[in-house]
Amino acid sequence: MARRLLRRFLHTAVICAVVATSVFVLMQFAPGDPFATALDGPDVPPSVRAEWRARYGLDLPPTERFVRWGIALARGQLGYAASRRQPVVDVVADALPRTLLLVGTALLLGFAAGVWIALLQTRHHRRWQDRVLGACTLVGVAVPEFLLALVAMTWLGARWHIFPVAGIGSLGDAAGWPLWERMIDLAWHLALPAGVLALAVASRVARHQRAALLGVMREDFIRTARAKGLGEWDVLRRHALPNAIGPVIALLGLALPSLVGGAVLVERIFGWPGMGQTLFDALLARDYPLVVAAVLVATLLAVVARTVTDAIANAVAPRRATGAM
Amino acid sequence: MTTGAWHHLRNDAGARAAAAVLAAAAACAVLAPALAPYDPTIQPDPVALRLLAPSWQHPLGTDPFSRDVFSRMLHGARVSLGVAAGAMLLSVTLGTALGALAAVMGGWVDTAVASLVDVLIAMPRLLVVIALVATFGTLSPWWLVVLIGGSGWLTTARIVRAEFRDHLQREYVVAAVALGASRWRIIRRHLLPAVAPQIAITAALALAAVIPLEAALSFVGFGIQPPLPSWGNIILDGVDYLTSAWWMVVFPVGAVTITVGSALVLADRMRVAVGGEEHEP
Amino acid sequence: MINSAVRPAAAAVVAVLIVLSAACRGADTGPSGGVLVVSVGADANSIFPPFGVGTQDRVVSELLYDKLADIGPSLNTIGDIGFEPKLARSWEWSRDSLTITFHLDPRARWHDGRPVTSADVQYAFRVWTDSAVGVAQRVALSSIDSISAPDALTARVHFRERTPAQFYALVYTLVPLPAHRFAAIADTALRDAPEVRAPIGSGPFRFVSWTPRARLELAANGAYYTGRPRLDGVVFVVAAQGATVAARLLAGEADFLEQLAPPDFAQLPADGSVRAQPYGGFDYGFVQFNLRDAANPLAPHALFGERAMRRALTMAVNRTTLVRSVFDTLGRPAIGPFSRTQWTADTTLRGIPFDSAGAAHVLDSLGWRDANGDGVRERNGRPLAFSLLVPASSRVRQTAAVLLQAQLKAVGVRVNIDQVDFNAWLDRAQRGAFDALVGAVRTSPSPRGVRDLWGTPGPGRGAQNWGQWSNATFDAQVDSALAATSTDAVRAHFRVAYQSAIDDAPAIWLYEPRLFAGVHRRLSVRALRPDAWWSGVASWSIDPAQRLPRDRRAATTP
Repeated sequence: MARRLLRRFLHTAVICAVVATSVFVLMQFAPGDPFATALDGPDVPPSVRAEWRARYGLDLPPTERFVRWGIALARGQLGYAASRRQPVVDVVADALPRTLLLVGTALLLGFAAGVWIALLQTRHHRRWQDRVLGACTLVGVAVPEFLLALVAMTWLGARWHIFPVAGIGSLGDAAGWPLWERMIDLAWHLALPAGVLALAVASRVARHQRAALLGVMREDFIRTARAKGLGEWDVLRRHALPNAIGPVIALLGLALPSLVGGAVLVERIFGWPGMGQTLFDALLARDYPLVVAAVLVATLLAVVARTVTDAIANAVAPRRATGAM
Repeated sequence: MTTGAWHHLRNDAGARAAAAVLAAAAACAVLAPALAPYDPTIQPDPVALRLLAPSWQHPLGTDPFSRDVFSRMLHGARVSLGVAAGAMLLSVTLGTALGALAAVMGGWVDTAVASLVDVLIAMPRLLVVIALVATFGTLSPWWLVVLIGGSGWLTTARIVRAEFRDHLQREYVVAAVALGASRWRIIRRHLLPAVAPQIAITAALALAAVIPLEAALSFVGFGIQPPLPSWGNIILDGVDYLTSAWWMVVFPVGAVTITVGSALVLADRMRVAVGGEEHEP
Repeated sequence: MINSAVRPAAAAVVAVLIVLSAACRGADTGPSGGVLVVSVGADANSIFPPFGVGTQDRVVSELLYDKLADIGPSLNTIGDIGFEPKLARSWEWSRDSLTITFHLDPRARWHDGRPVTSADVQYAFRVWTDSAVGVAQRVALSSIDSISAPDALTARVHFRERTPAQFYALVYTLVPLPAHRFAAIADTALRDAPEVRAPIGSGPFRFVSWTPRARLELAANGAYYTGRPRLDGVVFVVAAQGATVAARLLAGEADFLEQLAPPDFAQLPADGSVRAQPYGGFDYGFVQFNLRDAANPLAPHALFGERAMRRALTMAVNRTTLVRSVFDTLGRPAIGPFSRTQWTADTTLRGIPFDSAGAAHVLDSLGWRDANGDGVRERNGRPLAFSLLVPASSRVRQTAAVLLQAQLKAVGVRVNIDQVDFNAWLDRAQRGAFDALVGAVRTSPSPRGVRDLWGTPGPGRGAQNWGQWSNATFDAQVDSALAATSTDAVRAHFRVAYQSAIDDAPAIWLYEPRLFAGVHRRLSVRALRPDAWWSGVASWSIDPAQRLPRDRRAATTP
């Protein structure tokens, strides 16, 4: 076990190194620098740009910059985000919890809802419930997320005032509220962005889970369970689901990066400044220490998510262990 | 694809409907110049005729530049579906090649491909494409095909590799090897045909993934350049008028949804036809 | 604050709380003005005056820091006519105009209670001019030799040379900074020091908190030397998506929006809860031609090197239609390299009128004809085509580019729109790697910027003249105008300069948006100054009958 963990760790380290290097190389080709906006004024002489570039080491040859930056990174120093005027660590420390909260909530809600929908569909296989829910999940997968987000923001937020339009919390004396009230406030602000993402997750999970459940329902042990006189719901929940849920969990682990990617636009629309938006802004600002850090965080998250989901999938249904790669 | 699966698919109403929708969309794309009542870039009067609601003259209304949305949708199908189909072909070809290579060669090739997949699968695809567009500047539709296709081969590679490895252990392949068949011949004559249904499924899924990606890319301003219409940039033109000119958003989003939905249904049905997962006991 | 299910109950509780707090406040320091919430699309980058660049930086830093004196409602920038005292209670000029002595207001205090002194003015001068600090705008202070401090409340500014706008340049650039707080930080470390992210100022509002890309909160400075502002606080809420920024105002989650976009007008609520308030605007947009070859800056551009070509293209563009389509009635065609709101503006200049037949005729006579019938003119086998560089960050400029493309197509000119992200756009503009670009500038009350934007590139001018246009008449007249001391003379010189720019057509002068702020009916607002809507924020207030839970402050002013 220890050896496997060590291998996994080494593998992750190699991946991170490759990712960081390729991002660094790619960013060398991108035109512009982090100060484009800051130095775009009529009174700014070109010498100031040279000074600023020198200050952040941008005037050094790429190879030297790469070596310096690699050494710093190996020491755990992520550097300074010139476009944000903050250390990279601070920027990530601000944004990462928000993304984890948003994506985590969406995953949990979406997964639970998706499994439940799939159970309903399987229970009423080929009847109208199955068809209606199937159509809904199909649309849920096919509609672009950013449009759902815009529609939710415009109608549920701005028009009908059911949820806040955007933001991460109430204004005013919210900081002084008791903990439970602040939690409710946070949940209230999280509702729309997490809801939109959860809808997308639920649709995907439901479709896969339904297929997996139907596959399991053909097997002998289900027949045995039925023969024992168990109700159809009990057969589904106690026997079919545990055997069919593993691959879906594993699949979810694989889908996490695309979920984070979809979250970029949702974050922008709901004014929820998480990692997606941070990376997007950093890319446009050519702030490569921040880009590399954000990409590394995303990579690590993806690796961790896959390790965890693979482990859960194996624990839930050992006989359907998913292969490596 | 085996004849049984093919037969099953042909008699499946859902699959037939989905295929018909995709075929209709493709026909719209191909025949756009003949079907479109107006030139999609012509602006008859960008002041008086902008944002007209659907009418007999303009069945899907006009956009903020007074262009006919119906004509733009038809021509947009050309660009959107063209890019999607191109990217799908590229990613499936790449994925099949790399997946097959990894499975057949094994050893360090396998490790290298697996690591590459591990690296790329951690990246949100939308952000990867945005990063590349920001780096290389404006992109023609051809380059968009290359970027989107080049970033989407992972799923196919994973599946093809797994399937190949599975088949490599089966008796008929082992027998063929024992009979002295060359590796290339085994791949061509035995493995590829055996895995073809799986590849077809990933192709349909790839198509379903690419169309919304183009829309999202346009939404952030990095998609197809004007005046060439695509479903994505029609949505972008209309998104500011979501509440006042619904036709600018509802129709292109509907087109995206229906096309993607059809591709997904087709993938589902193919899976059923191949594996029979959905048959009741 | 509350989930929808418990809203009625919460509303009742809130109502009681508001009544209670209003009752409590009765015994307080006076009427409280509520909290202003401003919806913005871009967060501040630095709120410390020397390092601020963008509009949002200026908004926040000018609420935190007072200038020595502020420009008056006339927005005159010559001499000190109309300037109103701020931190400086009064000032006097030496006979040769090379020295200005400022007398600081003895009541002025930093937010930590320490008095504002002449040492703070001296320290600010060091910050702005020391290259180790690296302030971008230090050129604006290049005519100042030194600042002396005869006593704690007197600062004497010594100039190297006299210029008509020396007073404006001084008070608009140099803002006194708290030396006791920042002088201990090394100059090289100042820019990235954590202290400048939570600065101490002298203005009507003090810093409370800043959650980057989400919100920035300021509170009323109870000890402000001319009296506490009416508002209890100002909160800026940030969202990157334009639709969200507007939706916040329309939904009542924010009270103020700097600029309504044309599509927002269709969405203004029927109940009149949000109104549009016009306040001028200092922006103008244009298509700038590159007069040099995009690949070889020494060679003239194959198309735009020719004046007749630039004029013909200008003639082919119907700017009235273009502006109506982009802005509806919220914009006007631009006249020349200035905004109508600038005091040097001249609306009687001769423009190049729209005449597509005339444009076609000129193109014909230049030898550009469509011989092969593909709708694009060509000469010696080369089609009449160019690329138009547009930043993906600006919807207005993209829209204008698409309209322009269709209009030029009608006269046989092919425009390829090259839409790139802002950083790449700026990089290519600065390197001159473009044929033509859609640009827009926000001018200031001072007409000085025109020298950098349109003057011949060289020392002291043309730093942003990316098209490399060069016109001796224009340069000479702008120089004379900036050296003239009477407003009539300034106007006369600028008139000639502007006319030469219009005639020579280095750009197609496209549009001037008219700014409309979105104001919620909760908020009572005075007239908005066209160059700085925030200049009167301290006197705004929220209607006491329409207070919301967000108007309650966690910490009251000290």
